Amino acid sequence: MADVPSSHNSYVSSRQTRPSISKGALYRWLSWLVPVLALLLWEVAARIGLISPQVLPAPSNVAETALDLARTGDLFVHLGVSLLRATAGFVIGGAIGLVLGIAVGFSPLAQALFDRSIQMVRAVPFLAMLPLVIVWFGVGEVAKIFLVALAVMFPIYINTMLGIRQIDPKLMELAKVVGLDWTAIVRRIILPGAMPSILTGVRYALAHAWLALVIAETLATTKGIGFLAMDAREFLQTNVILLTMIIYAIIGVAADALVRFLESHLLSWHANYAKGEQK
Amino acid sequence: MTSSIALPQDSDVSALIKDRASQSPLAVSVRGLQRRYGSRVVIDALDLDIHEGEFVALLGESGCGKTTLLRALAGLDLPDAGRIRAPERPSVVFQEPRLLPWATLSENVALGHETTVGRAGAARALAEVGLSGREEDWPRNLSGGQAQRVALARALVPDPALLLLDEPFAALDALTRIKMHGLVKELVARHHPGVLLVTHDVDEALTLADRILVMRSGRIAASFQPKNHTPQELRSTLLEELGVQSH
Repeated sequence: MADVPSSHNSYVSSRQTRPSISKGALYRWLSWLVPVLALLLWEVAARIGLISPQVLPAPSNVAETALDLARTGDLFVHLGVSLLRATAGFVIGGAIGLVLGIAVGFSPLAQALFDRSIQMVRAVPFLAMLPLVIVWFGVGEVAKIFLVALAVMFPIYINTMLGIRQIDPKLMELAKVVGLDWTAIVRRIILPGAMPSILTGVRYALAHAWLALVIAETLATTKGIGFLAMDAREFLQTNVILLTMIIYAIIGVAADALVRFLESHLLSWHANYAKGEQK
Repeated sequence: MTSSIALPQDSDVSALIKDRASQSPLAVSVRGLQRRYGSRVVIDALDLDIHEGEFVALLGESGCGKTTLLRALAGLDLPDAGRIRAPERPSVVFQEPRLLPWATLSENVALGHETTVGRAGAARALAEVGLSGREEDWPRNLSGGQAQRVALARALVPDPALLLLDEPFAALDALTRIKMHGLVKELVARHHPGVLLVTHDVDEALTLADRILVMRSGRIAASFQPKNHTPQELRSTLLEELGVQSH
């Protein structure tokens, strides 16, 4: 599992000299060329019957499907249910991962007590637990939220722990000199110091949460984006299947944007995230 | 001690100390301090008194125990024997500024004293070290000398009775160091703490200190008062004490 950034330098951005604005803008437009062309080709191929709509319906067809589903409101119900599951799982798994990560990163005793067990459970791919989860919780909401929470917990745990380990011990000594109590140490030094790493964990966790949700929603459901896809499969509605894939992708991009937003706000002190305050 | 010392030491300064004591209370008092690492004795039966308002410089070669002594006074190191009577929370300036990179300068200065100092107090302390208007700036935008000035402001904000300086100017360039000396002198005169400065730099000790101690093998080997000597004489004597042959 790629829970951990491959190197400590993952936050060292490679800042290149900025090319002139016109050239940058040109490249920005150019980067859209291939996707737009591909979409056009696909549309044309579908229209002239080169591709069967059963295999790959035209993009316009998918867009119509989206509009139809949006008009009836079904799309938003399913989307809402999926987001709710993801959020609940993320909050539960994230909170557990964060607390364990802080405890183990901070205290050698907690590490001795918990770390080995956590690593053992982590070694099991969470999808391999699916049968067990179904036996325990059935195929209801609890099972789905449990799967998401499980997927979220480990990246948050590991990155929180590593982030805390990387905090300069000299700052901990300073905390002692100025007489901070341990709640102040956690609030003023440990959490902000570990925040870059924690947010890396959040980024991985969001990706894992999404994967877990896709799997969980293929279990017997009557609502959610996954249900939409399963239902469409029954009726060979390729256009709906494609739509669900696109929705999953959009939510993935949105989640990434959310982390970026958090980074620019929580890490404004960090040179690599500072915006418009270079001197 | 069997070293050859050119100048007479101020070995009998008890009269002087008594004189001072009547004016200002003791900032720190150490008796019979001992610290061992395994079988190696780093500090050996050491006595030391520093009064409030007195600036004491502690010279010594690397590994003579001077930093260990400072850390013991700061409460960062537990002695094996002896008695230290020091304020509960002396202020410390380390060789590195040790600013929290994620806190503004104002937050850094008030760290640990938020309720008593507040924003206005932090701003005043920053102004004292010549950094007014930078309250909301981040530490990454500071030069080395500026960062160390913030560390100094943070140390003085609680108005400490004892200020411990652990080679705070060692990492600065020569010109910045000279400016810092002037600033420290001025601030100490205003805040009146007892100061213990650990340093390698004989000239720094001569510039700043009321009393210069030379530490060797875990003991105070010699003590001088710059006002009783000419700087040139004292300089060469101190260098000799430190094992450097001067000409």
